[in-house]
Amino acid sequence: MSTTTAHGAGQGPEVNDPVQQRFEVVREHARADGINIVHYEPQFEPGSKAERRMTRTVASLFLLAGLAGTAFLAIYIWWPWRNEYGSGPDKLYTPLLGLTFGLALLFVGIGVLTWGKKLLPREVSIQDRHEGASKAEDVTAVADTMSYMADELGVKRRPLLGISLLAGLAPIGAVVAAPLVGGLISQPHKNNQMFRTGWAPIEDDHGGRKLVRLTREDGTPIRPEDVTTGGQMTVFPGIPGGAKNLHADSPTLLIHLRPDDAQKAREANERERKNGYMWGNYIAYSKICTHAGCPASLYEQQTNRLLCPCHQSQFHIVDNAKPIFGPASRRLPQLPLTVDDEGFLVAKSDFTETVGPDFWERP
Amino acid sequence: MTSDTPADRRGGRDRGLLARLRSGRSAPRSRGRRRLGAATRLLAALFLAGGAYTVFAPGLQAQDTPQLSSAAQEGKVLYDQSCVSCHGRNAQGVQDRGPSLIGVGAASVEFQVSSGRMPMARQEAQAERKPPVFDDTQTRQLAQYVQELGGGPQLPEGRDLKQGADVAKGGQLYRLNCSSCHAFAGSGGALSSGKYAPSLRPASDRQLYAAMLTGPQNMPAFGDNQLTPEQKRDIIAYVQETLKGDKDPGGFNLGRYGPSTEGLAIFVVGVTALVFASLWIAGKS
Amino acid sequence: MKRRKVDLKSMPAAAARGVDERFQVATPLRGLLNKVFPDHWSFLLGEIALFSFIVLLLTGTFLTIFFEPSLREVTYDGSYAPLRGVHMSAAFESSLNLSFDVRGGLIMRQMHHWAALLFMASIVCHMLRIFFTGAFRKPREGNWIIGSLLFWVGFLAGFTGYSLPDDALSGTGLRIASAIMLSIPVIGTWVTSSIFGGEFPGDIIISRFFIAHVMLIPALLLALIGAHLGLVFKQKHTQWPGPGRTNDNVVGERMFPRYAIKQGGYMLLVSGVIALLGGLFQINPIWLFGPYEAAVVSAASQPDWYVMFLDGSTRLMPGWELHIPIGDGYVIPPIFWPTVVLPGILVMLTIAYPFIEARMTKDKASHNLLQRPRDVPERTALGAMAVSFFLVLTFTGANDVIADKLRISLNAMTWAGRIGLIIIPPLAYYFTHRICLGLQQHDREVLVHGVETGIIRRLPDGRFEEVHQPLAQVDEHGHPQELPYIGWTVPKKMNRLGALGPAVKGFFFPIEKPVDAPVSPGHPPVSSGPDREEIGSGHR
Repeated sequence: MSTTTAHGAGQGPEVNDPVQQRFEVVREHARADGINIVHYEPQFEPGSKAERRMTRTVASLFLLAGLAGTAFLAIYIWWPWRNEYGSGPDKLYTPLLGLTFGLALLFVGIGVLTWGKKLLPREVSIQDRHEGASKAEDVTAVADTMSYMADELGVKRRPLLGISLLAGLAPIGAVVAAPLVGGLISQPHKNNQMFRTGWAPIEDDHGGRKLVRLTREDGTPIRPEDVTTGGQMTVFPGIPGGAKNLHADSPTLLIHLRPDDAQKAREANERERKNGYMWGNYIAYSKICTHAGCPASLYEQQTNRLLCPCHQSQFHIVDNAKPIFGPASRRLPQLPLTVDDEGFLVAKSDFTETVGPDFWERP
Repeated sequence: MTSDTPADRRGGRDRGLLARLRSGRSAPRSRGRRRLGAATRLLAALFLAGGAYTVFAPGLQAQDTPQLSSAAQEGKVLYDQSCVSCHGRNAQGVQDRGPSLIGVGAASVEFQVSSGRMPMARQEAQAERKPPVFDDTQTRQLAQYVQELGGGPQLPEGRDLKQGADVAKGGQLYRLNCSSCHAFAGSGGALSSGKYAPSLRPASDRQLYAAMLTGPQNMPAFGDNQLTPEQKRDIIAYVQETLKGDKDPGGFNLGRYGPSTEGLAIFVVGVTALVFASLWIAGKS
Repeated sequence: MKRRKVDLKSMPAAAARGVDERFQVATPLRGLLNKVFPDHWSFLLGEIALFSFIVLLLTGTFLTIFFEPSLREVTYDGSYAPLRGVHMSAAFESSLNLSFDVRGGLIMRQMHHWAALLFMASIVCHMLRIFFTGAFRKPREGNWIIGSLLFWVGFLAGFTGYSLPDDALSGTGLRIASAIMLSIPVIGTWVTSSIFGGEFPGDIIISRFFIAHVMLIPALLLALIGAHLGLVFKQKHTQWPGPGRTNDNVVGERMFPRYAIKQGGYMLLVSGVIALLGGLFQINPIWLFGPYEAAVVSAASQPDWYVMFLDGSTRLMPGWELHIPIGDGYVIPPIFWPTVVLPGILVMLTIAYPFIEARMTKDKASHNLLQRPRDVPERTALGAMAVSFFLVLTFTGANDVIADKLRISLNAMTWAGRIGLIIIPPLAYYFTHRICLGLQQHDREVLVHGVETGIIRRLPDGRFEEVHQPLAQVDEHGHPQELPYIGWTVPKKMNRLGALGPAVKGFFFPIEKPVDAPVSPGHPPVSSGPDREEIGSGHR
C-alpha cells in the first residue's frame, strides 16, 4: 500500500513521480487558500488487481445503466401504451417505464458514487473558517463613507427633503399596489350571494313567485314516492344549471324518514318554530356542511345520523340536524318542502339559515 | 296541517308499498297484520274468516302453511333451524334480538345470508361479512320462504346483473350516491361510533343490487323509483368492471386509500431508501 | 490556402485561457475548487429536497405543456371509457389526457407528485436534523428562517398543485380552503371573494392557482433555495465535533472532485428513486375521483401528508363557536383556530426559536460545531414534544382510514386524538429528557472507567466485577485518568478501540472480524489536535 500521507512536512515527496509532483503543487495551492490536506490516500495500488476489479464494477454499472436506458426507449416506443379497459399489457406501460428509467438512473448514480468513493483517494482536508464580523478596516471604511454620504445628502440639514420624499413615495407605493388589489377585490355580498342559494323562489315580471322544484342531477323533478323509506337522495334546485358548480351551495339531501322518526323530527321542528318545513315524512337539509363546506352525506338510516367525511362532524337528523359530534358548531339549514299541483316536491322558500361554512358577518 | 296525511294515504312504509307492487297477493295480508291501525281491514278479514275475533290470528297462521311452495317449505325447515331463535316463529321478530322479517323480501334475505352476515354469530352493532353458512340453493329457499311469508322487494333473475350497462353513467351515479360512504374506490369507510360502510370488493352483482334495493342496516335504501333497475345495473357495472376489473395503470395502488397511504409510502419507501443511500455515501468504507 | 494544423492537445488550455481573458473566471473558480465540506450522512437530507426540487421543475415543465388551466365545461371523449360523456372542466379533462392520451404522461404526473411528497418529507427531515443538532444557532439563524419559510412556501406550492386537476378530492380540499379563508374575522368574506373572484368556486380559481403554482411560487422557492445554499456556502457547513475539529475549521473533503461526485451521484439516486416511485406506485388516481362537483364527496377525504396535520387539528377541534354580540352579532367559527391561528403560531415559533433559545441560554457565541441531541436534553425534549404534537395531528388527519381499517370507533379515534394531543407531548418531553440524561451519564461513565469488556473477574474477597478497558492512560495507582467529553461518540465496544480487530461493515450491525486480523489503529484519520478542549459544549 503506497500511502501518501501528509503527516509531517519534512517527509519529502518522491521527486521522480510526476503524479506525486503534481499533487504537491495542488497541495501548495490549497495551503495558500487556507486548506491543509492532511491525509491523502489512494485506496488501491495503481494497476493492482483490486483496482482493476473496482474499475470493472464501475464500468459494468455504467453499461447496465445504458442497457436500462435502452430498454426504456424500447418500451416507450414499442410497448402498447394506449389505455384499454381491463387488464391488458398497457397497464404495465407506466410501471415498466418507471422501472427502466429508475434503474438507469440508479445504475449511473451508483456507478458515479462508486467511482468517487472507491477509486478516488481518500482525503481529509482542514480549512480555516473566517468567522465573525468583517475586517475592522472594512467596517470603518464603510461606516465613514456612509456617514459622509449622509452629510452630503444633507438629510439632517434639509429635513424638508426627507419628509417630502416620503410623502411623495407613499402614493407611488400605493399606485403599485392599487391595480393588484383593485383588480382582485370583489364585493362578497353582491346579489346577497352569501345568503342566497338556487332554492330562492323565482320571481317573474308580474310579481308572481314560482317555487323551485327539487330535481335530480339530470334535472328531472321528484315525486315523493321516488324516495324509499329510509332512503336519501341528493337533490338540486330545478333551475337552469342547478346541479352545476355555479350553485355550489345548493345541493340538498332529501330524506324519507320512517313514520316514528318523522314524528320525532316534526316535534323537534316545532320546538324550533319550523312547523311545516317537513312534508309528510320527508325532510331536506343542506348537503353543504356548516363546518367546512364538504358534502355531509353519510346518512345512517337507522341511527339517523349524518356524518361529514371531511372532519367527522355528526348531525342528528331527527333533531333539526343538530351537530352532536365533531367540529361543526351549527345545525344544517333545513329546506322547507311542499308538493306542487303536479305532485312534484318543491321548496317553499330558500333556506332560512345561511348555507355552508360560517363567516364573520353571518347574523 | 297537511304534514302527516300523505304518509298515511300511501300506507306509510314503502316496504309495504313495494311489496304490494311486486307481489300483490301476500303484501296486503302482511300489512294488515302488522298495522293495527287499519282496523277496517281487520274487520274485513274477520268477516271473511267467519270466526270469533280471538281465533283470527291462529287461523291466519294455519292458513299460511299449506300455501307455501315446495322451495319455501325447504326454506322453512332451514329457517326453523338457524333463524328462529332471533327472528321468532313465522318471522315476526323477537324483542331485542332480531327484527321482524315480514315484508323485508327475498332481496334482503339473499343479501344478508349470501354475504354471511346472517346468521349472526353474536349480537353486534353491525353484522359483518363472513363466509356464508348456506349455499346458493338454501339461500334461495330461505329467501322464498320469507318472500311468501310477507312479500317485499325481490331481485331480478340471473347472476350477471350488469349486462349492457353504461359504466360512465354508473360512475356518475356511484360518485353521487355511493362514494360518500364506500369511498371512491369501493374500499369502504368509517361511519359514526364504530359503524362502517363495508368494502365492495367481495360483493357479487346480486349482493350489490340487493343492498341498493333494501338498504341493509344503516345504508339508505335506493328503491326502484329513485334508482331505476337500469341505473342500478350501471352502478353495478361501474363497481364490478371499473373499480374491480380495470387494473390500475400507474403501478401498485397502495390500497387506493388516497393520500394517507401515499404519505406513508413516501416515508417508508422514499425517505428510508434515500437515508440508507446517504449512509452509504457518507460512510467511511 | 494552407490550413493551419489544429493542435488538439493544447485546445482545451487555449480555450480556457480565452474564456478567462474575457470573464476572469479563474479567481472565483479557485475559491470554488478549494472549499472543504464536512461529510456525514445526516448532512445529505437537505440535498434530497434540493434534488427533488430539480425533478419537480423538470417534470412540472413537461406537465405545463399539456395542462389547460381552465374551468370551461367540456365533455370528456378520451380513451378512459368510464368517464366518456361526462361533463367536466377543461382542467380535469387535460389532466386525464395527460394520464391516458399523452405517451409517458402518466409517469411524469406521478413522478411530479411523488417528488412533491419527497420534497416536503425531506424538508421536514432536514429541519429536524438542524433542530436536534443545534445547527440553527448563531450565525445561522437567518438560514433557519429561510429554511422554515421554504417549508411553508413548499406547502403552498403543494396545495396549489394538488388543486389544479380539479378532481373531486382536490375540489373538496379547495372548498375547505375557501371555508378557512371565510373564517377569518372581519375580512374573511372579502378575502375569499377576492381570491375566488366571487362565490366559491367561481370560474377563475384554477387559472389563478396555475400561475401561482408554475410561476410565482417556484420563483419564490428558487430565490429562497438560492439564498439558502448561498448562505451555506458563505457561512461554511457546520460539522460534528471530533478529534481535530474545532469551531474555527472545517474538516472534510475538498469540493472537487470527491465531494462533487458524491453530490452528483446522490442527485441521480434521488431522481432514480422518484422515477421508481412514479412508475411502480400509483398516486392520485384522479380518474377514480372523478371531476369536482359540489355535491360529490368520498369517504376518507384527505389532503397530502404535509397538509394532514392541519386537517387533523380541524378534526380534533370541538365545535366552539365564538359569538360577538355587537349589532347583528358576529361569529368566529371553530375552524378559524386550528387552521389559521395554529399555523400562524407554528410559523412564528419556528422563526423565533433560535432567538428564544439564545436568550434563554444567554448564548451569544457563534457555533460551527454541532451538538449531539443527548447533550442538550431540554432542546431535544422540546423537539420530541413538537414532533409528537405534529404526529398526533397527522395521524388524526387519517383517523377515519385508521378507524375503518383497524375497526376502531371513529368517535373514539377523535377522542383519542383530543386527549393524546394534550397528554402525549408532555410525556414525550419527559421521556426524551430522561433518555438524554441517561445517555449522557453512560458516556461520562465510560470516559471515567473505560469500556466494558464483558470479562467478569472474581476478586479475592469473593466479589465479582467486570473488567473495564480504560480509555486513557493509567496513573501510578492503576486508576485511569478521567477523559474530558468532547461532544462526540464515545467508543463503547472493544473493537472500536482496536482491541478486537476492526469491525467489518455489515448492513445493520458491524460484523466482527476474527481476532487474528491485523490490528488497526482504530482512530479516525486525523490525529487529535492540541485544541480539542475547545469543543466541550457544556450544556447541562
